[in-house]
Amino acid sequence: MAAKNITKPGRLGFALTVPSLVLVLALVILPLIYAVYISMTNFPLVGAYHFVGLTNYTALAHNSQFLHAILLTVAYTAIVTGPIFIIGYGLAMLTRSNRRGSTVFRTLFFLPYIVGLTVESFIFYVELQPNSGAVNFALKEVGLTNGATAWLVHTIPGMTAICLLVIWFGSGLTMVLLLGGMQGIPRELYEAAYIDGASRWRAELRVTLPLLRQSIALSLILSVIGSFLAFNQFQILTQGGPGTSTTPIVLWIYQVAFEQGLIGKATAGAMLLVVVVAIISAGQFLLLRDRDARAS
Amino acid sequence: MRALRRPGRAGRRSLALAAAALLTALVTAACSGTSPVGGSSGGSGGSSSSKSLNGNATGTVTVWYRSGFAPLFKQLAKNFNASHKNLKVNVVPVADADYITKLATAIRAGTEPDLTSLDDVDSEIFISKNEFLNLTSEVNALSYKDKLSPGALKLATSNGKYYGVPDFADMSVLWYNKTLFSQAGLNPSQPPATFAQIKADATKIRALGGSTYGFSFAGDCPGCLTFTLMPNVYAGGDDVLSGQPGHEKATVAGNKSLQATLQLYQELWKSKLVPANDQTQNGTTWGKDFQAGHIGMLPGGYGAAASAPAKMLSQFAIAPLPGPNGGYSTYDGGANFGIPAGAKNPAGAWEFVKYALSLPAQQLTPVGGVEPIRSDAVTASFKAKYPMVAQIVGYLPHGQAPYTVAHDALFNLVSQPWQEMFNTAVYNGNVAKALTQGQSGFTSVLNDLQS
Repeated sequence: MAAKNITKPGRLGFALTVPSLVLVLALVILPLIYAVYISMTNFPLVGAYHFVGLTNYTALAHNSQFLHAILLTVAYTAIVTGPIFIIGYGLAMLTRSNRRGSTVFRTLFFLPYIVGLTVESFIFYVELQPNSGAVNFALKEVGLTNGATAWLVHTIPGMTAICLLVIWFGSGLTMVLLLGGMQGIPRELYEAAYIDGASRWRAELRVTLPLLRQSIALSLILSVIGSFLAFNQFQILTQGGPGTSTTPIVLWIYQVAFEQGLIGKATAGAMLLVVVVAIISAGQFLLLRDRDARAS
Repeated sequence: MRALRRPGRAGRRSLALAAAALLTALVTAACSGTSPVGGSSGGSGGSSSSKSLNGNATGTVTVWYRSGFAPLFKQLAKNFNASHKNLKVNVVPVADADYITKLATAIRAGTEPDLTSLDDVDSEIFISKNEFLNLTSEVNALSYKDKLSPGALKLATSNGKYYGVPDFADMSVLWYNKTLFSQAGLNPSQPPATFAQIKADATKIRALGGSTYGFSFAGDCPGCLTFTLMPNVYAGGDDVLSGQPGHEKATVAGNKSLQATLQLYQELWKSKLVPANDQTQNGTTWGKDFQAGHIGMLPGGYGAAASAPAKMLSQFAIAPLPGPNGGYSTYDGGANFGIPAGAKNPAGAWEFVKYALSLPAQQLTPVGGVEPIRSDAVTASFKAKYPMVAQIVGYLPHGQAPYTVAHDALFNLVSQPWQEMFNTAVYNGNVAKALTQGQSGFTSVLNDLQS
């Protein structure tokens, strides 16, 4: 009987998904549920703990540092997402043809993403040092500063440096994602558009952009989620300072958990972040749905 | 080929039942876990050792230490293993930045080492949670107990009992360059003993011009600033905290010595008597400019300049860190030993502690850029070999360090109150606002951690 049941396609399909379900359950769902529980305790780094209900969550609503970290994260996301997309799109346009040298340029533009944010953050850190960094040296040479500006210990210059770094880092990935979409658009569609009298820009707007909807959505979602989860660049360049003025949400969670030892409180913050990222992921799912496939 | 179907009703029911069972198990386990794994036996201020640790220890003892002190611990392990037949030590380096987190995680998981050598100012984090064995009888039995650093021993104390013992000292002093002092017309055998003298001497040295500066500090390294500024405050008879660990209060507002200290640093900065890149010095290259001979005075530890080439080192001298109007103090940095409550070989751990505190082992500490924790380690031959270390050990009775469960949260983060207060006072030039900000920030952190 059991052998008969398992051969039914529905049950076979379900059976085949069981290993994945078990993994997801063990590695994602159960830890997440346990994290929800921890967020409702006063869990310290060491020592006993007890259940405190929603205290951590209600406290977060009045925690000025947490609220500031959220605002900073949202502002940072808003600042970097547009330029990353526009520059990435521009780079994809520049390199989408298979002309001689295109591959070299694609590689060069994608290189910052391959090198990695951590290494590049350290490069920025070194080059922005007063008296010794290349930026100060160059500014001194052209007579704009005395070469002793400590860019990273002030809020606006520090944030500017981080945003520039991330735009440089992220544009390459956006280029690659959009390039994949662009190269999948049939050449005939452009030929038809040009025969109908469309200009190059009109073809870009009416042919390329609509057909890139999924690639654009994917690149934007990855960029936004990456910004919400930003950590390395802040930790290396400003360490969240001066004060807490450049502390994004993930750095706040890290510091509260591992520097202050308040695991319960930090986990409550992390759970709120999970909700936000889940909403963004749901948005991604909706945007990525193929309308044509659903219609058929 | 037929499309795969969703699981049938029976399948869905089985799945739901399995999920419900797992959830129930999880919640049950979680709700019953109101105390940590590998925890302690309770009681106030730490766990009690059920029997004397002075037995015949055998087997292997695992010791965690901060990775920055690898040369010292490797040498200690080599010597210990050569001299012990039935007991071997395995020393494990753990990154400084993650030390507390890793130790706490190991304790929760029941995989703690037999012995930990941790930053002495972090001792209370574990002692206050009953995670270290009570070593009172063992410490009292040490014939040289009165020779141990009193400040470091205090950091291992709770309610009059010892839950650890000092390992080595890492104290802060004022390094100065005798050659620059002479060139500036100052007496190299008369280092500054007040804030006014520090500023006057720094001004004269800066007047030498070029890349020579009177003073230097690690202005973006909160831990370094705690290490070097707090002795100025202690020497003035003040502290930034009051009360026992776990019941502390901030005493930043109205703190005259702290105010004078911040004022001194602000004036040094504003008058450009320090290099501009001190503002971003996060500790990674701290002391390098002094070692290169460009700096008149540098507050720091023995390790900050001791690695300079011998020719350069001969131009340097040390003095204690003064208070605003005289007196002196030093930061009681270094390491304390603690035996976790769940240690599998506590007797072996204590055997290693006794070895590490023996005079031959203590006299190895300069290998690691630190100092002995025992004042009687300064013998004639030791003094001849390490004259500066011998001088620093002489400051032990004047040592002090924050006695708190919140050291890292208060002092070790760029985004936390100590560094923020320093930035406001020194770089933004507003000492009054800095003190108000510091009081509020310290109070907020203490409220969070002591609630």
